[in-house]
Amino acid sequence: MTPSSTLDHASAAVGGGNAPSPAGMDRFVYDDAIVRKFAAATVIWAFVGMLVGIIVAVQMALPPALTWEVGGIRPLGWLAFLTNVEYLSFGRLRPLHTNAVIFAFAGNAIFAAIYYSTQRLCKARMFSDTLSKLHFWGWQLIIVSAALTLPLGITQGKEYAELEWPIDLMIAVVWVGFFGVNFFGTLSRRRERHLYVALWFYIATIVTVAVLHVFNSLMIPAGIFKSYSLYAGVQDAFMQWWYGHNAVAFFLTTPFLGLMYYFLPKAAERPVFSYRLSIIHFWSLVFLYIWAGPHHLHYTALPAWASTLGMLFSLMLWMPSWGGMINGLLTLRGAWNKVASDVVLKFFVVGITFYGMSTFEGPMLSIKSVNALSHYTDWTIAHVHAGALGWNGFMAFGMLYWLMPRLFQTPLWSKKLAGTHFWIGTIGILLYIIPIYASGLTQGLMWRAFDESGLLKYPDFVESVTAVLPMYWLRVAGGLLYISGVVLCMLNMAMTWRARPTVYEEPVHTAPRLSEQYSDEAPPASELYANLEAGKKLDVLVKGFWHRVWERKPLKFTVLVFLAVAVASLFEIIPTFVIGSNIPTIASVQPYTPLELAGRDIYVAEGCYGCHSQMIRPLYAETKRYGEYSKPGEFVYDHPFQWGSKRTGPDLQREGGKQSDSWHVLHFNNPRQVNDRSIMPAYPHMLTKPIDFDGLTARVRVMAMLGVPYGQAVLDGKAPEMAREQAAAIAKSIAAQGGQADLGDKQVVALIAYIQRLGTDISKPAPVAAPAAKVAQTAPAAKTVRPQ
Amino acid sequence: MRLSDIMSRVDLTVWPIAALVIFVGVFIVVARRAFARSPSENERAAAMLLGDDAESM
Repeated sequence: MTPSSTLDHASAAVGGGNAPSPAGMDRFVYDDAIVRKFAAATVIWAFVGMLVGIIVAVQMALPPALTWEVGGIRPLGWLAFLTNVEYLSFGRLRPLHTNAVIFAFAGNAIFAAIYYSTQRLCKARMFSDTLSKLHFWGWQLIIVSAALTLPLGITQGKEYAELEWPIDLMIAVVWVGFFGVNFFGTLSRRRERHLYVALWFYIATIVTVAVLHVFNSLMIPAGIFKSYSLYAGVQDAFMQWWYGHNAVAFFLTTPFLGLMYYFLPKAAERPVFSYRLSIIHFWSLVFLYIWAGPHHLHYTALPAWASTLGMLFSLMLWMPSWGGMINGLLTLRGAWNKVASDVVLKFFVVGITFYGMSTFEGPMLSIKSVNALSHYTDWTIAHVHAGALGWNGFMAFGMLYWLMPRLFQTPLWSKKLAGTHFWIGTIGILLYIIPIYASGLTQGLMWRAFDESGLLKYPDFVESVTAVLPMYWLRVAGGLLYISGVVLCMLNMAMTWRARPTVYEEPVHTAPRLSEQYSDEAPPASELYANLEAGKKLDVLVKGFWHRVWERKPLKFTVLVFLAVAVASLFEIIPTFVIGSNIPTIASVQPYTPLELAGRDIYVAEGCYGCHSQMIRPLYAETKRYGEYSKPGEFVYDHPFQWGSKRTGPDLQREGGKQSDSWHVLHFNNPRQVNDRSIMPAYPHMLTKPIDFDGLTARVRVMAMLGVPYGQAVLDGKAPEMAREQAAAIAKSIAAQGGQADLGDKQVVALIAYIQRLGTDISKPAPVAAPAAKVAQTAPAAKTVRPQ
Repeated sequence: MRLSDIMSRVDLTVWPIAALVIFVGVFIVVARRAFARSPSENERAAAMLLGDDAESM
C-alpha cells in the first residue's frame, strides 16, 4: 500500500466513504473496522467451539475412567459431573459444538474474508456501514442464542439445523436482509466491471445458503421454543440431507474457495494458476453439489433411485473439487521456496491438501458398498474433522495471519508463535483423525463380523464401544493440541492488536466510476456456413459470449446460480414428494399417543439422535442384530425424522418391547446400573422433572395441522387426559416390577412410552375400519404386550 | 388427475438420466466458453486482485 493521505471522518461517512472527487474519479476508503470485528470473533468462537468439542470428546471416553484408581484415589472422579448434569449432557452439547464451529468459527471467518476482499475487488466501500454492523452484531446474537438454548434442550432435532424457529427467523433476516443486501449493494456500486472469481463463490454462498435455510426450516410453531417440521419421515430426511450436505458445500466449501482464490494469490504474490479452470470448476461444483445429499441416506428408507442419483453426482463431484485443489496448489508454481519461510503459505498449502484429501474421500464414502461399512461409524467423524480442522481451520488461520499486520497496521507480534501454531495444529489434526479412522473401521468391521456358525461375533453392541475407547483418548490429545494452537493464535492477535497505532490510518483510494455509457462488445459471428439460422445462433451460444457478459452483471450471474441450484434441487425434490410409490403406506402404523409424543419431544430435546439411529438398513448383519429392516411407511408421522447419522449406541428402531419399563427407569437414571461398560450419559433429572401435560394440547393440534390424524385428541383437555391415563398405567407397571413408585407425572415415563412404542406398529394387525379419530384415543390401551 | 398421479406414471429412470443430460450440456457450454476466452483476458482477470491495494493516493 502506498503512503497516503486519509479521508477525514466526516467525508468518509458521506455515501459510506465513497466520496466523489471533481476530477471524475471517486475517492473512497475501505471499512476495515468491520473486518477486525469479524476476525476477532473468529478466534474467540474457534476457542469456544473447540473447547466444547474437547468436552464432548472427553465425555465419550470418560465413564469407565471415572472409576480408575491410582494409589487408592480416583484421579478423574471429579469429572463425574460431565456424565450426569442435565445441561452438560453429550446430546445437548454436541449440537452446540457443531453449530459453534460451523456457524460461529467458520461463519465469522468467511465474513471477515468476504468483507475484506469484496471491497477491494469491487474498489468500493461496503454498501452500508450500518448493515455491516447489524450483520456483525446480529450474527453474534444468533450464536449466543444458540449457546443458551441448545444446552437447555431447545432444539428442532435436525442435524446442523437444530436452532428453534425464533432463531431461524433471525438467521434469515441477518443473512438475507443485512448480509445479502450489503453484499449485493456493494456489487452494484463497484468500480471494477469484471467480477473476480472469488466473488462468484461468494454469490453462490449467499444465494444457496438462503434457499437451503428457508426450505429446510419450514415448520409450524407449537410454542415460543417448540416447533414441528413441515416434513415427515422420508421426506424430512431427504430435505434435511439436501440441506445438511449443501451446508457443507455452500458454507464450508464455496466461501472458503472464494477465500482461497483471493488470499492465496495475495500471499503468494502471483495470479491464480488457471482462470479457465476456475470457471469450469465453479460451475461444475455449483451444479453437482446440490444433487449429492442423498448419499447420506444409503440403504435407508429413502427410495433407491434418489440414493443412487446422489452417489453418481457425488462421484462426479470429485473432478471439480480436485480442479479447485489443483488450481490452488499450482498457484504456488515457482514460489514453493516461499512456503518454507512464510507461515501463511504453510497454512494454505496444508489446508488445500486437506481439501483435496477430503474431497477424494467424500465421493469414495458415497459409493454404496463403502458406505455400508462406513456409515454410522466414526469414519464419518474422522472425514468431517479432516475437512473442518484441516481445510476450514487452516485456511481461516492462514487468512488471519495474513490479515493481522494489515488490519492492525503493525507487524505480526510473533512469526515464531505462528509457526508453532502451524506445527502443533498439524500434529493435532493427525493425532485426531488417525485414531478415529481406526475407530470407525473397527466399529464397522465388528458390527458385521460373523463367527463360524453364522452368528454375530460381537452380539453385545457395547463390545464395539469398549474396543474404541483408547482411540477416543487419543482424539482428546489431538484436540488439545489443536486448541492449543488456537490459543497461540488468540495470543498473537491480542499482542499484535496491542501494538496498533493510536489512530488507524485510512488510506484513500481512487478509481474511476463505471461508465453508464458502457456497452458490451458485439457478440461474435458464427463461423458456420450453409447452416440454418438456428444452427448459427446455437454456434454463437456455445461460444460462451453470454458468460463474459454475465461475469460483469451480478444480477444475471446471481439468477443463473439460483437456477443451477433450483433446477438441480427440484429434479430430486419433486419426485420424492409427489410420487406415491416412494412411501408405501402401512395400515398398522398409527400416530403416537399424546404421552408418546411428549416422550418423543424429550428424545429430541436430549439429542438422542446424536448417538442412536432409528434406521435398520437391509443388510444381513443389521437385521440379525436389530430385527426387521426399516420401511418408509413407518415414519409418516415422524415430525421431525430421527434416523440419526451415528451409532455410538445401538440402533433403536425396534427397541419397543425389548426391555421392561423398570429396566428403562434404571437405565435412564444411570446406564452403568444395567451395563457397567456403557458410556451413555445418566439422566437422573428425568426421574424428577414433571411432564408438561397441559402443553400437550398445543402440540397435538400442530401435529394435526401437519396431517397427523389425531381426531378427538385435539379437543380441549383431551390430550392431557389421555396422556395422564397412559402415564398412570406405565407408572403402575414400573412399581409392579419392583421399580420406583410415584413416577406417573415424571418425564421418564413419557420417554419410556415412546421407546416402548418404537418399531412395534409394523408387527401389529391393521386396524379394521377404525376411523382415524378413534386411533389416538385407543392407542394407550392397545400397547399392553411387553415382555417383562 | 393430480400431479402426483402423473408423476407416478413416469418411469423413474427418466429423472437421473435427465439430470445427467442437463449436467453434461451445461458442462460442455461452460467448458467451451472457458476455452474460447482469450489468454490475455484470462491473465488480466487473474491478476486483477494483485494490485487492488496499490491505487491509494
